[in-house]
Amino acid sequence: MNLIQLKRQSWNLAIIVLALVLGAWRISQLPQFGAYEARTFVLGILPIALLSMGQALIIIGGGINLAIGAEAVLINCLSAKYMLDTSFSKSLMLAVVFIIVGVLIGALTGWIISVSGIADIVVTLATSFLLVGVAMYVMPQPGGGINQTLADLISGKVPNFIPPLICLILPILLIWIPLYRSKLGISMYAIGSNKDAAFLSGVNVNLTRIKLYAFGGLFAALSGLALTGITLSSSPFANISNTATLNSVAGAVLGGVALSGGVGGLIGPALAALILYFIPTILLAYGIDPAYSQIITGALTIVVVLLGGLLRKRTAGKK
Amino acid sequence: MIKLKMFDESRISKSMLSLTGILFALYIITGLLDSYNFSIPAIGNIFYLGAALGLLAAGQTICMLTGGIDLSLAMIATGAAFIVSVKSSSGLLVALSLALLYCIVIGAINGLAVGLLGMNPLIMTLGMNAVLIGVFTVGVTTFLQGSSTVPEVLVTLSTASIIDTSGWVFESATADPRSWPFVASIVDTLSWPFFIWLLVSLIVLFILARTGLGRLIYAIGDNAQSARLAGVKVWKVQVTTYVMCAILGGIGGIILGGQSGAVALSLANSFLLPSVAAVVIGGTSIMGGIGGYKGTMMGTLILTLLSSLLTTINSSEAVKQMIYGAIVLALAWTYAKISENS
Repeated sequence: MNLIQLKRQSWNLAIIVLALVLGAWRISQLPQFGAYEARTFVLGILPIALLSMGQALIIIGGGINLAIGAEAVLINCLSAKYMLDTSFSKSLMLAVVFIIVGVLIGALTGWIISVSGIADIVVTLATSFLLVGVAMYVMPQPGGGINQTLADLISGKVPNFIPPLICLILPILLIWIPLYRSKLGISMYAIGSNKDAAFLSGVNVNLTRIKLYAFGGLFAALSGLALTGITLSSSPFANISNTATLNSVAGAVLGGVALSGGVGGLIGPALAALILYFIPTILLAYGIDPAYSQIITGALTIVVVLLGGLLRKRTAGKK
Repeated sequence: MIKLKMFDESRISKSMLSLTGILFALYIITGLLDSYNFSIPAIGNIFYLGAALGLLAAGQTICMLTGGIDLSLAMIATGAAFIVSVKSSSGLLVALSLALLYCIVIGAINGLAVGLLGMNPLIMTLGMNAVLIGVFTVGVTTFLQGSSTVPEVLVTLSTASIIDTSGWVFESATADPRSWPFVASIVDTLSWPFFIWLLVSLIVLFILARTGLGRLIYAIGDNAQSARLAGVKVWKVQVTTYVMCAILGGIGGIILGGQSGAVALSLANSFLLPSVAAVVIGGTSIMGGIGGYKGTMMGTLILTLLSSLLTTINSSEAVKQMIYGAIVLALAWTYAKISENS
C-alpha cells in the first residue's frame, strides 16, 4: 500500500482502531466473551449499519434522506405483519417483494426530488411523515412476527454469530463493490462533488440520483427486514424512525462520508455503526441513564462532523 | 437614493395570490364538511391554534433565509416551556429569564458552530436535538424536578381572550353585550396567542424588511461569500439569527405549554416538520436569500386549517400523518412549479 492509498484509508483505519478500543473495553466489561456475545454485537449493529450504508450512498451523491428511518420502519411493519405464521418459502418470497417495495419507495423519492426541484430535506421530511403514517396504518400496534427459519437465517440460532455477519458483509460484497466499480459509481461521485460539472460532462444527473435513492431504499428495506428478523416483531413509532435516521446520518458521517457530497465509501459507515453501538452499551454497563447515551451520540456526531470539516479544510489548504 | 428591491415583486405577489387561493379553498372545504367552521369563533380558533406554529415558523424563516435550518427548534421550544413550568416556583420572572437564557445559549451554540466553525446546519441542529432530548430526559429526574404545570398567568396568556369580560357589570342580562352573538364572537376571536403572534409577526416583518440586520440576513442567504467580501461579519449575523430563532421558538413553546396546561417532553415534537413546511410552502427557499415571513404566515394558516380539517373528518393518527405528509409535499411541489413558470 503506497502513501496515497494509506492517506485515503486513514479515516477508515482510525475508525477501525477506535472500534477495536471500544470493543476491547466492552469485552472487558463482560464476564466472558464467546460466540453468544459476538452474536449480540453483530445483531446490535446490523440494522443501523445497513441504514448508515444506504444513507452514505445518498449523501455521497450530494443528497440526504431524512425518511430513511421511516422506510426501514415501514418495511419492518410490513414484514412483521405478513410474515407471521407463514411457511419459509412464502416468507422468502415476501422478503423479495418487500425489498422491491423498498427500492420503489426510494426510486419514487428520488424521482420526486428530481422532477419537482424541491430540496431533498423538504421532500424527505414530508415523506418521512407519510411513510410512518403508512407504517402505523399497516401495524396499529407493535407486534407481528416472522417465519422462524427465515429469522434464523438473518440473526442466527442463539450462539451462532455467522449468519448476521454474512448479512452484514454480503451487501458490501454484492452491492457496494460492483456499484463502486460501475459507471453508476463514477456518476455518483461526480454528481456529489459538482452537479453542474457532472451534467456538462454528460452524466444524467436525475437518473443517477433516482438510482441512488433506489439503492438507499434497498438498504433501508434490508435494515427493516433485519429488524424483523432480530426482534421478531415490529414497532410502528415515529420516534424510532427519527432516531434511526439520526443514527444513519451519524454513521455515514462518522464513516468518513462528507456531507458536502462526493467523498467517502460504504465500508466506513458499516464500521462506524460499531462505534455507535459500543458507546451506549459501554455506558449502560456502568449503570448510566440511557438518556446520556443520546446526549453522547448527538455530541459525537457534532464533534465528528466538526473535526472532519476542519481536517478537510486543512488538507485542502495545503494543496 | 435608489430604493433597493429585495426580490422580484411580481413573482412574490403572484405566489401570495395562489397561497391565498389555496387557503380559501381549504377553508371552504372545511366549512362544507362542518358548517360550524364558517362561524367567527371557528376562525378565531384557527388563529388561536396557529399562533404557536406561526412563532416557531418565524424562527425557522429567519434561519432558512440565511441558508440554514434549525432542526433543534422543537426541543428548544419544549425546553423553554419545561424550564418555565418547573422553575415557576421561584417566581415567574426568574422562570422566564431562565427560559430566555436557555434559548439564547442554545441559539448561540448553534450559531457559533454554524457561523464560526463552518458546521453543516442540518447536522449541527440534528445533533443538538439529540443532545437536548437527552439533557431533558435526564433533567426530569435530576436538576429539573418539579411540577410540570404551566403557571396560571402564562396559561391565561396562551388561552384567554384579550378582552377580559369578567369584570363587566350590567343592570340586566339583555343589556349585557356579552350575550350578543357578535360581541361574544369578537371576544372569542381576539385571543392572547393570536395577539402575541401578530405582535411578534410585525416585529419580524419589520426586522426583515426595514433594518440593516434584515438586509444582512438576505445578503448572506443569497451569497455568503460575497457578503463576507463586502465586509459583512457573516458569523455575527448567523449567531444573531440562530439566537433570534431560538427565542421565537421559546415563545412558541411557552404558548404551546400554556395551551396544553402541562408540559411533556414531546410537547413541540409534532411541530418540527410543520415549522419547516410552513416556511417552504410560504415560498422561502431552503437555500436562503429568497422569501419572507408573509408567505410563512400564509403557510402556517394553511397547515393549521389542514390539521383542523383532518380532525373534522375524524381520521386516525396514521391516516392523518399520511395525508399531512402528502399534502405538504403536494403544496411544496405546486409552489415550486408556480415560481418556476413566472
